[in-house]
Amino acid sequence: MSGYDLLTRALAACGRDGWTGVLRVSGAPGGALHLRDGLVVAAESPGAPGPETLLLRSGRVNGEQWAGLVREAGGARWPAAGLIAHGYAGAAQLTVVCVMALQDAAFAIVAGRVDGCERAVDGAEPPAPVAVGEPPARLLEDAARKLAALAALPRPVHPDRERPVPARRSDGPLTALQRALLDHADGRRTARDLAFRAGRGVYTVTVEVARMLAEGLLECPAVLTPIPVRTAPDGIRHRTPPPPPQPQTPVDLPRRRPGGFFRLRNGTPK
Amino acid sequence: MDREALALEMRGLREQVTGITDTAVAAADGLLIAADTADSIDPEGLAALAAAGLGLARRTAQATARGTLRQTVTYGSHGCAAFYAVGDTALMVVLGDEGMDVDRLHRASGPALDRIGSILTHQNKTAEGV
Repeated sequence: MSGYDLLTRALAACGRDGWTGVLRVSGAPGGALHLRDGLVVAAESPGAPGPETLLLRSGRVNGEQWAGLVREAGGARWPAAGLIAHGYAGAAQLTVVCVMALQDAAFAIVAGRVDGCERAVDGAEPPAPVAVGEPPARLLEDAARKLAALAALPRPVHPDRERPVPARRSDGPLTALQRALLDHADGRRTARDLAFRAGRGVYTVTVEVARMLAEGLLECPAVLTPIPVRTAPDGIRHRTPPPPPQPQTPVDLPRRRPGGFFRLRNGTPK
Repeated sequence: MDREALALEMRGLREQVTGITDTAVAAADGLLIAADTADSIDPEGLAALAAAGLGLARRTAQATARGTLRQTVTYGSHGCAAFYAVGDTALMVVLGDEGMDVDRLHRASGPALDRIGSILTHQNKTAEGV
């Protein structure tokens, strides 16, 4: 059974059972799907930026502000109320970010390798849940449709494979995303890495990378740059362990004598 | 030292764990041995920071009776930096973005650290033999 079939069956069973909990997907990048009454309300994957990354990397809120919001929310991973109250984002915007991140994580899991699925019940509230959950079948069909659309492009790209570099200066105007990708593509980053760096969805970025490769704005170097390895001239020395702590002997500190400086400044009490 | 094997281990780890952006291996005193880092990162400075960071963490573990130091991880809003000791001769630095699963990194880095340790120890034996 293919990894995709494995995931489809496991998720469909969760939907049928009206299950509430986490479906952990092992593989590369793998991830976790959080369900409530058989509907997927949140998804996380190392392969796709979550709502927090999307907000922080877009510059809508900075790291210190985020830390403050998390403190205000009593340590919650997704301080939605604070984000709205402080005017960093509107309620509708947050809903869109959460839905996009959920679908993007599902896409990343489906686009990668699925080794297995395991149900787990943890009492914790899923991070950044959407109000209306996605039916499992629709979520996976949407991910598979995106994967097929990507494969049908003239220069198909996989989110975790190609590591492009800028190819030539563009003649025409560039979009903000294209400029960001040209800035960050250094031959080390995949489309997934670029998505995290730019704070955009991994599907959006992968499609854009594919288009830019086809247009000749980006290219894939034939060989990876070798890792420079040097050799220490006298070999590597072992770390000298610190001397064992000396047993503490009581030291006679000079005792403070009453009076002294205070009496000198203020005189003796009458 | 088998440079090729060391480079393969470092690149292998980056490909095995999603979200790793850079890796470096240095001697315990902070002298850089190998770096798979982006141009924006100064690998020599990073190696020195890692040696100092691990030294401080080791002393802290000792002073507070926390046992043998395993690793240190610095978490930031844009990712994290993990420093691992490789035996008592070297150290490894792994930088990751926000998506990197740190538990998965620890699981994957254990065997890689053992192999990197063997590669570096082999160098020592060769150096002593010459």
